[in-house]
Amino acid sequence: MKESVLIKGNQHGLTLILNPDIDFETLKEELKKKIIDGKSFFGKAKVSLMLKGRELIEEEQNALVQLITDYSDLSIICLMDEHFEQANEELKNDSEDADNEAFFYRGTLRSGQVLNMDKSIIIIGDVNPGAKVISKGNIIVLGALKGNVHAGCEGNIQAFVVALSMEPLQIIISDVIARSPDKAEKQTLNEPKIAFVEGHSIYIEPLNHNRLNEIAMPN
Amino acid sequence: MSEVIVITSGKGGVGKTTTTANIGAGLALLGKKVVLIDADIGLRNLDVVMGLENRIVYNVIDVVEGSCRLKQALIKDKRFDNLYLLPAAQTRDKSAITPQQMRKLCSGLKEEYDYVLIDCPAGIEQGFKNAIAGADKAIVVTTPEVSAIRDADRIIGLLEANELRNPSLIVNRIRTQMVKRGDMLSIDDVVDVLAVHLIGAIPDDEQIVISTNNGDPIVGTQSVLSGKAFTNICKRILGEDVPFIDLHSPKGFISRLKNMIKFGNS
Repeated sequence: MKESVLIKGNQHGLTLILNPDIDFETLKEELKKKIIDGKSFFGKAKVSLMLKGRELIEEEQNALVQLITDYSDLSIICLMDEHFEQANEELKNDSEDADNEAFFYRGTLRSGQVLNMDKSIIIIGDVNPGAKVISKGNIIVLGALKGNVHAGCEGNIQAFVVALSMEPLQIIISDVIARSPDKAEKQTLNEPKIAFVEGHSIYIEPLNHNRLNEIAMPN
Repeated sequence: MSEVIVITSGKGGVGKTTTTANIGAGLALLGKKVVLIDADIGLRNLDVVMGLENRIVYNVIDVVEGSCRLKQALIKDKRFDNLYLLPAAQTRDKSAITPQQMRKLCSGLKEEYDYVLIDCPAGIEQGFKNAIAGADKAIVVTTPEVSAIRDADRIIGLLEANELRNPSLIVNRIRTQMVKRGDMLSIDDVVDVLAVHLIGAIPDDEQIVISTNNGDPIVGTQSVLSGKAFTNICKRILGEDVPFIDLHSPKGFISRLKNMIKFGNS
């Protein structure tokens, strides 16, 4: 037996698989029931909606979007067509998304080079003095961080910076800025460290289990 | 009575940046209000030699492009309250600023500071043209090497062509022992060739390398001969008549120099 509506999650939001063989009004009723049932599960979020399985005219599409927004706390920011599965620009710019997607950079960033991305950035290599890394999300350096970094550059105060060797000239997270001490401290132990903001100051601490748990489950 | 002085050399690596940092700090030590401009856009060093690299947020390009106010880009020195640095941009190149913009910048700074020192990049291209655009005076730095002197001569000619006449000369990295052996040109030889006014001679010195690496200018350290030589240059800039240090004096210095030469050979 074929269900009239199937709701699936995808990377950017929801996909509805619609049964092409039943009457549209029945389909709407079924969807309404499922949305109400799942209201607390869906929560409050901005999502994109993809409709599959059935040819719909514009009015029908609008009716479905209306129904979802009426009976849940979801807000639909865009409709995605089956052939266009790439992320929507608006979604890409969402800071939550920057937190969950990362760009890999392989190699050493040298003086005068700037890496500026909307996504979080993972660098497999060093960031030398005079180089700059800017991201809306987090910045992770699998190497020595000796240059300048700016994480959460559009105001994400939750953003963090991790480096295997943490010796930056400057760290900026959101709008909080910290600079290196003038007298170079002898690093006793070169361990991975994390920089984060607490109470409008930047803290740099060893990356231990407690800290990792806090990142994994904020609040 | 403010002055804009460009420190230039033509050849790279003769000590322009170290000289700029030390003269700047020296003039500040003598109570003058000083601002240093790094004109070496794309290959900035003055901030490193001053130990102010970690304070840079805005730079000279941000100022001329209007991304920030001049006051926001000026970095106050660690040691002297009356010494400021306007850093270069590292992610741009020499074409990011024009001689006109430099001229405007210098005349603006002149109103508030006694001395505006410009650290010129090596070469004779756009960076050089930018650096000398707003200058009233020039200091040419050279070492007692034929190649550096050849370039200094070319630079003096270009300065004259740009209405910067009678530049002052600094001979840097003199190794007294080598001069004595006849293996290095003496200060007099250099002045003979270039025929410009000598304002100072700096002995080659390990301490300079150490101070540069630590981001802490050596000027004012009277126990070190090179530090003393820089202090004297600053006094001469202020118009005092200071006798030249006898670099050949045996007291302590020679033995230190000997050690250094040994060190250099090992």
